[in-house]
Amino acid sequence: MRRKLKIYLPFIGAGMQETATYRVNWIFYILGSVTGCFVSYFIWKAVFASGGGGAMNGFTMPQMTVYIFLMFVTSMIVGSDASYVVGEEVRDGTIAMRLLKPVSYNATFLFQELGNKLLTEAVLLVPLLIVLEIVRTALTGSVQFNPLCLLLYLLSCVLGYLINFFFSICFGFVAFIIKYLWGANMMKNVIVGFLSGATVPLAFLPPALEKVFLMLPFASLGYTPVMIYMNMYGGAELLYFLGLQVFWAAAFWGLSKLLWRVCVRRLSVQGG
Amino acid sequence: MKQIKRLFRMHRIFVVQELKRMTEYKGDFIVGVVGFLLAQVANLLFLWIIFTQVPDLMGWSMNEVVFIYGFSLIPKGLDHLLFDNLWNIGFFIVRKGDFDKYLTRPVDTLFHVMVEKLQIDAFGELLTGIALVCVTLPQLAISWSVLKVALALLVIPFCTLIYTGIKTITAAIAFWVKRSGNIIYMFYMVHDFAKYPVTIYNNAVRFVITYIIPFAFTAYFPAVYILRDENPLFCIGLTVLISAAVMALGIFVWHRGISAYESAGS
Amino acid sequence: MIHVEKLRKEFKKTIKDPGLKGSIKSLFHPKSEKVVAVKDISFDVPRGEILGFIGPNGAGKSTVIKMLTGILTPTSGVCTINGKNPRENRKSYVKEIGVVFGQRTQLWWDLPLRETYGVLKEMYEVPDDRYKKRMAFLNEVLELDSFITSPVRTLSLGQRMRADIAASLLHSPKVLFLDEPTIGLDVVVKDNIRKAIEHINREEQTTVILTTHDLADIELLSKRIVMIDKGSNVFDGAIADLKSKYGQMRELVFETDDPDPSETLGYCRHFNISEDDCTLECEGKRVKVRFNSASVPVSEMLSYTLAAVNVSDISVKDADIEEIIRRLYKGVDA
Repeated sequence: MRRKLKIYLPFIGAGMQETATYRVNWIFYILGSVTGCFVSYFIWKAVFASGGGGAMNGFTMPQMTVYIFLMFVTSMIVGSDASYVVGEEVRDGTIAMRLLKPVSYNATFLFQELGNKLLTEAVLLVPLLIVLEIVRTALTGSVQFNPLCLLLYLLSCVLGYLINFFFSICFGFVAFIIKYLWGANMMKNVIVGFLSGATVPLAFLPPALEKVFLMLPFASLGYTPVMIYMNMYGGAELLYFLGLQVFWAAAFWGLSKLLWRVCVRRLSVQGG
Repeated sequence: MKQIKRLFRMHRIFVVQELKRMTEYKGDFIVGVVGFLLAQVANLLFLWIIFTQVPDLMGWSMNEVVFIYGFSLIPKGLDHLLFDNLWNIGFFIVRKGDFDKYLTRPVDTLFHVMVEKLQIDAFGELLTGIALVCVTLPQLAISWSVLKVALALLVIPFCTLIYTGIKTITAAIAFWVKRSGNIIYMFYMVHDFAKYPVTIYNNAVRFVITYIIPFAFTAYFPAVYILRDENPLFCIGLTVLISAAVMALGIFVWHRGISAYESAGS
Repeated sequence: MIHVEKLRKEFKKTIKDPGLKGSIKSLFHPKSEKVVAVKDISFDVPRGEILGFIGPNGAGKSTVIKMLTGILTPTSGVCTINGKNPRENRKSYVKEIGVVFGQRTQLWWDLPLRETYGVLKEMYEVPDDRYKKRMAFLNEVLELDSFITSPVRTLSLGQRMRADIAASLLHSPKVLFLDEPTIGLDVVVKDNIRKAIEHINREEQTTVILTTHDLADIELLSKRIVMIDKGSNVFDGAIADLKSKYGQMRELVFETDDPDPSETLGYCRHFNISEDDCTLECEGKRVKVRFNSASVPVSEMLSYTLAAVNVSDISVKDADIEEIIRRLYKGVDA
């Protein structure tokens, strides 16, 4: 294990350095991305005002506010560029080079991205969560913070990230069929965003649809961790959803391995 | 006049080429258009879900909200279709020193950059926008007049220029800092506010999107004139003025930027 | 044709302390220093001349070229072509010139070559009949026919360079700037490109400014050289002058069966000259001696060599320009 870690440590470092270089650009990017949250916030505020101010589908306005911004933070934590990186390598053929290196393909990516994330998350996550907690306390008039929920949330995020990472690796192989990666990824992000509850809380969907969406892997990328943080899930439910996350993480891990093997075979048939 | 004709002939070569490519790579074309279409569908689902909860949004009916949303997509789509290359200025062209080639040509650099690319993906937004406007219009009680039809059509290119102007200003920052793609993105994303009736926002947001980053003029103000006959002088007149001002500022910043351009390498 | 007077370019360079802390600091308190890339350079080029513009890496060559082509705005000084100044009217200025950068194409990656020329025709307002004649001429000189319908991205490097040169000449410019026109090309293609440049220069009296690392380009094409270093003009004159001014280097080549010719001959000791004036290279039996004929006359060199060792197949020739320039760069650096 320690030896393994030693192999991958440089990748974490490389990812961190990369991020530091683009720090300023990254801040602009976050500021641009967060605009959407404010738009949602104002729309929901209008909705609650027009609806008389009571709870809707189990959400009060303060809860909705926390939901919107926490969803943003969660999607940052869970986010992965793997589909783009893999797609790019498939397209220009450098993926064949990966065969030559004596390290696991997926693991290399995973650790590089983790390095990247460790830095962004440390900078972003801590202050944002603190601000969010202060806002939540101010909005509801009492302290809502629950350390156990935070811990379970983080666990759920890690699982969500793993699901997203392996799913993205799988999706990256789409590049064998679609050459326009930017378009393909945009399509994926829109669909995943909707299914994960980023556009609208799944509780607002028609009940039948909600049930189906909750079973799909994408709820794990946003809705599940956020609901856990907000203490919306009871004991049995909580275990069920965490279990579902583990299941999907394992499933996509297996699928990515399978696709990788198919890819290797294909490359060796072509003669690399 | 001869100049303009010449520039359009140039533009046509690029357009024809892009359309040829489109038929050659049908898959890519479909993926791009469907991608942007789906993004709109997701937002419309959101609106639909909202209107299952409440009958109206602070006095705006669903049809009105969807009309404003649809209207906003038309100038956005046009700008996206025609002037998408400005993003590349902010992200790559200046940083890699590829801007050199524009400066060795006897054509205005801004124009040259713009005509070079046609972004077919934009049809995803453009078609959704037109469809939404067409679907909601008959269901809205609008008092039509010849003047209104004329103004409604006339204002669209000016709405488009607000997008283009803001993109030009922010893209030109790259001449000083090398890479401004994310700055374009930061300002550009403010347009999200403009897709919905601005009365749902607080005063600060309203002030910003009206007078600082004037995206409210790309959809809400023209739409509110069409829907509710609100002051045309403000809604249409100011749209025209502001779009001219934004574009003029864009051209000014762009040309100042060119003298600061340092190319790449030694 | 070209008039350059006291052309100067200063850049601001931001100084950043290393590491994350440095990045943040420079964000709030950017420190910068002035770097003078080009220091008041002046020269003139008459019509129809092919000028070799050379200098070591980082000497400010590209900066000068970029100012002359209207890409960079000079800090001070003037450059005019045919009396036109890029700062007053860039558009009419660039109509007078054609530019080829060997390192990157000026053409549109996805456009078939023919369409590319169509765009340029509109850009430079070339009338239809002139365009037809011009294309026929360029076709003849640069042999574009075989790939004129292919998209630029599919061309080989040599084809692309020909296509780029044709694009730069479409509007019959009075001055042609060629920056590394033969970089990365094989010998045959290089030769073709040089011939084409010479042909156009002869046929149309096009003034050519040529920068290159391949000094054979310069030796074969140009009669005059401007050399700059650290932003200043260090040499301006004919190649022949360069040769006489910077040492009359000769190259003596012979074969010998002596086991250690370097030791046996000991030129520096014998003639009492410095290493700079005489170097010796051995390659098996073959010996190559480069020496300065100003300090040791050729006849003395020959008779001493013939007397000292057993020699077969001996020859003496002028050292090539490359050797001179190498010495010149060395002198500049010291």
